[in-house]
Amino acid sequence: MPTAAADTHCPYCALQCAMTLTAADASRSAAPPTTEPIAPVIVAGREFPTNRGGLCKKGWTSPELLRSPSRLLAPLVRGADGGLHEASWEEALDLVATRLRGIRDRYGADAVGVFGGGGLTNEKAYQLGKFARLALGTSRIDYNGRYCMSSAAAAGNRAFGVDRGLPFPLEDLDAADTVLLLGTNVAATMPPFIGHLAGAQAAGGLVVVDPRRTATARLTDDGRGAHLQPAPGTDLVLLLGLAHIVIAEGLADTRYLERRTAGYDAVRRSVASWWPARVQSVTGVPAAMLRDLARRLAAGGRTFILTGRGVEQHVDGTDTATAAINLALLLGLPGRPGSGYGTLTGQGNGQGGREHGQKCDQLPGYRKITDPAAREHVARVWGVEPDEIPGPGVPAVELLQSLGRAGGVRALLVHGSNPVVSSPNAAAVRDGLAALDLLVVCDFVPSETAALADVVLPVLQWAEEEGTMTSLEGRVLRRRRALDPPPGVRDELWVLAELARLLGRRTGFATEPETVFDELRRASEGGIADYSGIDYASLDRGEPAYWPYPRGGTSTPRLFTERFAHPDGLARLVAVAPRAGARPVPAPDELTLVTGRLLEHYQSGAQTRRVPELLTAQPVLVASLHPATALRLGVADGEIVAIENSRGRVRCRAAITTDVRVECVFLPFHFGDDQAANLLTSDAVDPISAMPEFKTNHVRVTRVAPRVGATTARDDRLEEHGAVA
Amino acid sequence: MSPPHRIVLIGYGPVGARFVDELLPAVAEGVLELTVIGGEDVEAYNRVLVAEYAVGATELGAMTIGDRDAAEAAGARVLLGVSARAIHRDARTVELSTGEFVPYDRLVLATGARANVPTLDGVDRPRRDLTSLERHGAALVGRDGDLPAGVTTLRDLDDAERVLATVRERKRIIVLGAGVLGLELALAAAHAGAEVCVVHHGQHPMPRNLDRGGGLVLRAALRRSGIAVVANSRAEAIGFRGADDERRFDRLITADGKELRGDLLVLSCGVSPRNELATLAGLRTAVGIVVHPSLQTWTDPAIHAIGDCAQIADSAGHGSDRIVPGAPAGLIGPGWRQAAWLAGRFVAAARSARSSDLAPLGAVPAAPGSPPIAADEALAPEREPIVMLKAEHLDVVAVGDVSADPWDDDRERPRRRVAQWADPEHDRYVKMVTEDGVLTAFASVGMPRTAAELTLLFERRAELPADRSMLLRLDGPDDDPSTGSAGLAPAATVCWCNGVTAGRIAESAACGNATVDAIGRDTRAGTGCGGCRGRIAELLARAFEADDAPSRAG
Repeated sequence: MPTAAADTHCPYCALQCAMTLTAADASRSAAPPTTEPIAPVIVAGREFPTNRGGLCKKGWTSPELLRSPSRLLAPLVRGADGGLHEASWEEALDLVATRLRGIRDRYGADAVGVFGGGGLTNEKAYQLGKFARLALGTSRIDYNGRYCMSSAAAAGNRAFGVDRGLPFPLEDLDAADTVLLLGTNVAATMPPFIGHLAGAQAAGGLVVVDPRRTATARLTDDGRGAHLQPAPGTDLVLLLGLAHIVIAEGLADTRYLERRTAGYDAVRRSVASWWPARVQSVTGVPAAMLRDLARRLAAGGRTFILTGRGVEQHVDGTDTATAAINLALLLGLPGRPGSGYGTLTGQGNGQGGREHGQKCDQLPGYRKITDPAAREHVARVWGVEPDEIPGPGVPAVELLQSLGRAGGVRALLVHGSNPVVSSPNAAAVRDGLAALDLLVVCDFVPSETAALADVVLPVLQWAEEEGTMTSLEGRVLRRRRALDPPPGVRDELWVLAELARLLGRRTGFATEPETVFDELRRASEGGIADYSGIDYASLDRGEPAYWPYPRGGTSTPRLFTERFAHPDGLARLVAVAPRAGARPVPAPDELTLVTGRLLEHYQSGAQTRRVPELLTAQPVLVASLHPATALRLGVADGEIVAIENSRGRVRCRAAITTDVRVECVFLPFHFGDDQAANLLTSDAVDPISAMPEFKTNHVRVTRVAPRVGATTARDDRLEEHGAVA
Repeated sequence: MSPPHRIVLIGYGPVGARFVDELLPAVAEGVLELTVIGGEDVEAYNRVLVAEYAVGATELGAMTIGDRDAAEAAGARVLLGVSARAIHRDARTVELSTGEFVPYDRLVLATGARANVPTLDGVDRPRRDLTSLERHGAALVGRDGDLPAGVTTLRDLDDAERVLATVRERKRIIVLGAGVLGLELALAAAHAGAEVCVVHHGQHPMPRNLDRGGGLVLRAALRRSGIAVVANSRAEAIGFRGADDERRFDRLITADGKELRGDLLVLSCGVSPRNELATLAGLRTAVGIVVHPSLQTWTDPAIHAIGDCAQIADSAGHGSDRIVPGAPAGLIGPGWRQAAWLAGRFVAAARSARSSDLAPLGAVPAAPGSPPIAADEALAPEREPIVMLKAEHLDVVAVGDVSADPWDDDRERPRRRVAQWADPEHDRYVKMVTEDGVLTAFASVGMPRTAAELTLLFERRAELPADRSMLLRLDGPDDDPSTGSAGLAPAATVCWCNGVTAGRIAESAACGNATVDAIGRDTRAGTGCGGCRGRIAELLARAFEADDAPSRAG
C-alpha cells in the first residue's frame, strides 16, 4: 500500500526534520546523486517551519539502512550451540511467552522488566507501558530517556509544573537578540537547528557555554557572540554566578518576579555567596565574561536560554537545570513574547516518549502513577480496576543494576534501545544482561544488545510504519509509511498484542496505530500532556498540534503566556547549591572524561554505523586530547591510546586538538564493544531525576606502544582507518 | 530518650549563618536545640560584597544570606541585636546583654574579626588585652572603638554607609593600606566617580601576595584607573578641620612629611579576630581563639570556634609553646567549610545518639547529652588560599610564595622552577612557580583568562603544560590556535549539517558544479539549515575567478 510519495519526518533526532520519501523507481531524477542505489526510497527535504527543507547528513542517508545487508529479517532464537538461529514467529513468541510465564510464576511479576526507548512512536511507547502494567503486571519499566532528558524534565516540572522541552515554536528563536546555549552542541546533533540561530548571530548575541570548543561554539566566532569554556561539571556554579550578577546589579525583572513567581527570596539568598571572582575560581571563566553575559541577558531584548545534555548529565543535573531556569525567571523570560527558556530534547520521540507511560513513575498524559485520580482515569480507559495497575517501578539505572540479582529482574524485554552501549558503566550492564534468565530484544539491526539476547524479534523501520512523534517543540507529527516492510518483520504493536494474547490478555492491545492513538488520546485526556483534541485526520491536513490540545480545544504553541501550570499559576524559583563532595577531585595524572556526540552518528550508533557513508566519515572511536596534554603523555596525533579507570578500558585513536580543555579527554559514545565510551562512565545518578553522570568521569590515558610483529585485528582496524582519515 | 543537645552560637555573620543553615534540618527534627546570638540587628549578609555596597554597586538584598524566618520556623531561637557579655564555663551558660543566662551543651564562637585601627595621632585605639578587659569588663566586649568623624574602617554596613555618602558626592577618599580590601574599595570608588588616593608604606601594592614585578605592574594599572598611589609612606597622624565639636578628618600626615587632604579616610589595615569573650572566659588565644583541627578550643572541649576568630593549630606540637603558629585565614571560603563541617558533625552525632537512644560517648564526659566529636576527627587542612582582587576592570590573582626568581640557583631548590612574563607597558604580568611541574604559587596581573586557568590548575594540583606560553596566549587575540574557523581554508568545515569542507566544495566545483544548487546535489553542502549557502557562493566565485572564468555562482 505504499503511496507514491509519503510526507514523513526523519528517523533520528528530536528536531524531526520534515522529509518526503518516494519509491526509488518512481522519480529517480529528484534524488541527490550520492544516495546509494540500494535504498528503496528517495529522500527529499520538505518545507517545514523547523528544518525549512533542509536535512543533515544523517537524514539524507537514512534510507540506506532500509535494505542494509545487516537488517534482521526473521526472528532469532539462541540455540543449544550458543548461537542465534532463525526461527518462525510462532516458535519465537511461544518461547518468549512460556519463559515469561515461568519466570513470573517463580519469582513474581516484578521479575520481568521492560526497557523502552525515546525513539519509539507515541503509539508504541504508550502500548509498551500498558503492556508492561497489564499483560506482564510488572512495575519494572523504564527507558533510555532516563539518560538524556530526565533532569531537565524534573527541573521543568518543579519550576513550571509542566515539562515540554520548548514551550514555544522553534521559529521564535529567529528574531532573538540573544540566545544562550548551555551544554548543547546543536551544530553536530541537530544541524538544521542552527538556521534558527542566524538572527542572534547577526546581533552578536549567540553565547555558547561548553567545556569544548564544539562546532556550535565556533558559531560564535567573528563577533557573532561568545564562547564560555568552563571546566566540566562547573556549570551549576556558573549559573549561580550569573544569577548573582543579575541580582547584585539590580538587573532582575522584579515586577515579573512579584507577579508571576514564588521563591525569589530563597534564591536571592542562595546566590549571594557566588560573587564573580569566586565563580571564576571554580569555573575558570573570567569574571568579566560573566558580567558581560549577565548584562547582555538582562538588556531587555528578545532573549532565550536553552539547555542540553551537558547541563543535565550530572549527578546534580536537576539542580543545574534548575539554576538555568532560575536565571531565566530572574530575567523574566518564560512566557514573555519573543523570549523564553527551553531544553533541547535529544531523541526522535524523546518528548512523546516521556509522556505516555514508559517511565517507571508515570501513566499516559504525563500523569503520576501514584496519583489515585490518575490511576482511576487510566484504569477506566483500559477497562480494568485501578488496583490492577502496579505502582511505581525503579528508574533505568537501578533497573539495570538489578538484573539477575536476588529480588531483581530475571527477564528483560528491550524495545528501541541498545543499553549495553548507551548505559553508564556498560560492562556492569553487560554482566547484568548475561545473568538474566531471558533477554528479548526487538530491533531491526543486530545491535550489541541484540547480540546478547536469547530471542531477537525483527521489527519495522520508520519508513515502513504509521504513527506519531512529538518533536522537541511539543508538536505532534505524523510518521507515514512509504514502502512495504520485508516479509519477515513485524510491527511492535503486533508483537505486543501477540505476546499479550499468549499471556492471557486477549483484548486491549490494538495493532492499528490510529486505533492505539485514539486510545492514547483518551488516556491522556485531562492530563498535563493532553492529546485528546488531536487526531490523525487533522495531522494529515497539516494542522499544527502542540500539546496540551484538549478535546474541543485548541493547539498550544506557546505555554506560560498567562500562567504557569502549578495550581496557583506561579512559577517556582528553587534555591540550589553545589553539594559538597558531589564530585571528587581527579588525581593529578587523571583526565576528566567528557562524552558526547558526532554529527555522523546517532545515539549508540546501531543504525548509523551501518550506513556506509556515515561509517566512512567516522569509522572508529577517536579521543580528543589537547596538544599540551598529548605532549605530556607522549601521544602523537593518530596514535592508539588506552583510556581506562576502575570500571573499564577502551582503545582508540588520539586526535590532537585545542578544541578540548587541557585537563579533559573527549569521547563520542556511538561505538560498541571495546570502543564503548560508557565502559568508563559511572552509574552514579542524580538523586531527583535518577539521570546518570556522563560528563565528569576520571580516566587515565596512556599511549599503546606500537607492537612489533603481529597486531590484533582491532589494532589493524584502528590503524587502517587511521591511515584513511 | 536523651534530650536534644543544646547548641548556642555566638555570632551571626556569614559563617554563623552558614552554620545555622546546615543545622536547621536537625533542629526541625527536634534532635538539636539551637540558640543564635547576633550583635548586629540585621540579617546575616555576605561581607565580601561590602565594598560594592559602599559604592552603590549593589543593594543589601543582594548580599543577604541569612534566613532568620527559616531558622525560627525550624524551631531555632534567634536573638539579634543582643550581645553576649560573658561565658560561664563552669555553669555552661552564656550571659547576655539582656541579663539572661542561656545554657549550652556546646558553644560555638563565630565572633568574626574587626578592622584594625593603626596607631595614628588623633585616633583613639582601645586596648583589648586581658588586663584592660578585666578592668573594663563586659563593657568592652563586642564593642568597636569610636573613630573621629571622617574616618572609618570598612567592615560592616555602617562603615559602608559612610563611604557611600562620600562616593555619592564624588568627594575625595584616602585609603590607608594597599591590601586586597583597600584596593577593591579604591577601584570600585574610582569607578563610581570618586577621587581616590591610596597610601601605603610598602614598595608596591599587595605586598603580601605579589612580588615586585607584579606589584609594580599593578601600581601602574591602578594609576591608569585614575587612582593616586602614594608608596613608601608610613601614616603618622591625622589633621582635622572644623571646630572642636564638629571637627572632622581633613588630612593624613605621613612620617616623611606629606599631608594628603581628603574628605574621608578609610582605614584598610587588616583585621583582628574578636577574641575578647574568649579571653575573658580564660580560653587560650593567640592571634585568634586557638582550636584543634576538630575546631574544639584547646582549653574547653565543649566550646568551638569557626571563621575569622578561629586559629586552627594542632596542640600536639605546640601545646606548651608560648607562641602558637598560624592565624585565622581571614577568608570566607575556609570559614564556610568549617561551619559546614562542624554542623555536619553535630547533626550526625545528635542523630546517632537519638537513634541508638544511648547517652552519647563524647569527648566531654562531664556533660551528659553533649554530642560527641571523636578526638581523631579533624577538618582537612586548608590549602593556601587563592587571593583574587574583585574589581571590574583589573584582574589580579595570586597564591603562594611568588618571591622566587627565574634566575635563582636551581641547586638550592632542585625541583622548583619559575617562569615569568612581564609586559609593563600593557599592564600584564604573570609568574608561575612550580615544583616538579606542578604549580605551587603564581601571580597574575591583567591577564584574566590566564589567571582563571592557573587557578584551576592550582586547585587540581595538575602539572602545567610544558610550554608555559600556551597559558599566556589565552589572553591573546589569537586565542584560537586551531584557526581556519573563519577562513575558507580547505580543511575548514563550510556546511555543518553535512560535514562538508571547503576543499570538498572546491573539488566539486572543479568537476563542473558551478552553482550552489549543483554543489548541493553533489556534496549535500547547503542542503541542511542553508546557513552556509553564502559561503558556498563565495567559494565558487573564488574558484572561477582563479580560472579567469566568469562567476556563475547562483
